[in-house]
Amino acid sequence: MPSIQLQRLVKRYGGLEVLHGIDLDMAENEFTVLVGPSGCGKSTTLRMLAGLESVSDGDIVVDGRSIAHLDPKDRDIAMVFQDYALYPHMNVARNMSFSLRLKKRPRDEIDRKVRATAEMLGLTPYLDRKPGELSGGQRQRVAMGRALCRDAGIFLFDEPLSNLDAKLRGQMRAELAMMRQSVRKNMVYVTHDQIEAMTLADRIVVMNGGHIQQQGTPSELFRRPVNRFVAGFLGSPPMNFLEAELVDDGGLHARGAGFSLRLPEDIVTRARKLGGGRATLGIRPSDLEYAPEAAPDRALDLRVIVSEYIGAQSVLICDCGGTRVTVEIKSETPIALGETLRFAARPEGLHLFDPETERAI
Amino acid sequence: MASAARPRANPAFYALIALLIFMSIGPVLLLLVNSLKLDVDITSGAGGLLFMPTIRNYETALCDILWYEPEHLRFCQIRFGGAFVNSIIIALVSTALTLVMGCMAAYALVRFRFMGRDSLSLSTLAVRMIPPAVLLVPVFGLWNNAFCLDNDYGLGAWWRDTFGGRGDVCLAGTHGGIILIYVAMNLPFVIWILQSFIVQVPRSLEEAARVDGAGPFQTFFIVVLPLIKPGLAAASIFTFRIAWNEYLLASALADRDTMTVPILIVNNASEFDGLGTIFATGMLLAIPPILFTLFASRQIITGMTAGAVKG
Repeated sequence: MPSIQLQRLVKRYGGLEVLHGIDLDMAENEFTVLVGPSGCGKSTTLRMLAGLESVSDGDIVVDGRSIAHLDPKDRDIAMVFQDYALYPHMNVARNMSFSLRLKKRPRDEIDRKVRATAEMLGLTPYLDRKPGELSGGQRQRVAMGRALCRDAGIFLFDEPLSNLDAKLRGQMRAELAMMRQSVRKNMVYVTHDQIEAMTLADRIVVMNGGHIQQQGTPSELFRRPVNRFVAGFLGSPPMNFLEAELVDDGGLHARGAGFSLRLPEDIVTRARKLGGGRATLGIRPSDLEYAPEAAPDRALDLRVIVSEYIGAQSVLICDCGGTRVTVEIKSETPIALGETLRFAARPEGLHLFDPETERAI
Repeated sequence: MASAARPRANPAFYALIALLIFMSIGPVLLLLVNSLKLDVDITSGAGGLLFMPTIRNYETALCDILWYEPEHLRFCQIRFGGAFVNSIIIALVSTALTLVMGCMAAYALVRFRFMGRDSLSLSTLAVRMIPPAVLLVPVFGLWNNAFCLDNDYGLGAWWRDTFGGRGDVCLAGTHGGIILIYVAMNLPFVIWILQSFIVQVPRSLEEAARVDGAGPFQTFFIVVLPLIKPGLAAASIFTFRIAWNEYLLASALADRDTMTVPILIVNNASEFDGLGTIFATGMLLAIPPILFTLFASRQIITGMTAGAVKG
């Protein structure tokens, strides 16, 4: 139940630096999710925490003690691997008890723990089977059970659900969330799936290109992304970005090809400092609303190209002066393809980004 | 399921299989049957299966290690038993040593990063390209002259006092000397074969073991080794057979007491009296590799790593 600090963590492979000084504080019992596109350094960070990759520079501190140069076995961590990594020549029970047996714990204690963990994960009927005789979901559970069986202080998950099919993934995600409530431990979870990140995390850390882009609670990151990358990465369908010019026309407007939106007060004060010029306007698909009667400076006029029906919601792919814009609407809204319709933008859903630095304004 | 739907095989197919089985087992069977016959029965031309089985031929062949003196022999002429024991010792020990060293070397070559790894890996195989005959003269010279202990003092003196003997204690003429050259000869191939098996062990398995608290040796022995068992079995069959059959180097290095079976047979070919003894020695010569191969080949099962990781 320790607190973990990554201090200016750097990883180099030869001359190539892949992590450029990661600073991260994880509080006790926190579920931290590292999320980002592939190659962003999230897995490397996790593997450095596990001790599977050496630390090139910086430090890893757990409860005030540096563990950066300890062997994996001395770090008191348990890890679930992306590809399960089960020992194929051992049955489920022996897989789960592997670490306890190495520590030479008494036999009845090992037995008790394995049974309790198997009970929790619904693996009791399979304890005598080899991994080769299990389905993907069951193997995933065994991998999880192997980590849970030992009383490690820190749990690491390296994209544990990415090998499962969509339905099973949703199911396992819910089970993870449930397990999370009963096991109060520090957990660090790596994924490229932003839905997993949003649903499981106490704290999300968005990474890109070896840097931390932003960290915070899921809702903080969703509502107040600090830059265009975070804004575009979190949320599904992703945020729309429109190139615009800031013009003062009786109140500050963002004007671009085919639209001119009046900016709300809180953005205006910040945008004023920039003084005119260009900006990137970001609007989430869910922040656009079908409103034929809306005022032109509160809305976008969009030509509907494609409508994707997904049940209660439909996703419209529209054209706005040459830029693709997606809109999420209720399916019962009467829409015809090819029509140009008016969608009101929620004032609190407007984001402005500096086109040069891509930072939020 | 697909096989159940397949039509029944042609009778000719079964005939072919029966023929193949007969061809492979027939000679061994003939060897066995004749080794149990008296010379008169073998040469009588009857060739039938009606005869009184006798172990007399085996008694003749193994006369030097029997605890009793067979009645039909006046004196023990062929020291086949001793050579047989030598062959078994040399084949088993050299196979075991080759496997132990080979699996560790192969593991290091596959998993560890160090300078010259690739060229080292390649050069192990290059050693295989040298024919054993080329080694014969230098090895003979080194084993007889360079690797010797002076018998006047130190270990050599202790050796002389304990085991007797006249000259300096040399590697030539010892079991160790022959085993050493067999290990050196087979190691490159074993390393090469095992490398391809170790590459197939998913790296994340070893990482999982390390995180679970296993040290490097525990990881190797508890996780990696059981998974490359088929490779070890294949390599052991290979090395055992080479050590069992090898003639050239053993003939140069062995002395009277460390002679292996191939050397004995060649040296004493003229002294074998009677066909029965020849059949018996042939049978005895065939049994160890057959047993060893049967035992080892049972370890060769595919799909050892099934279920370890998501394909």
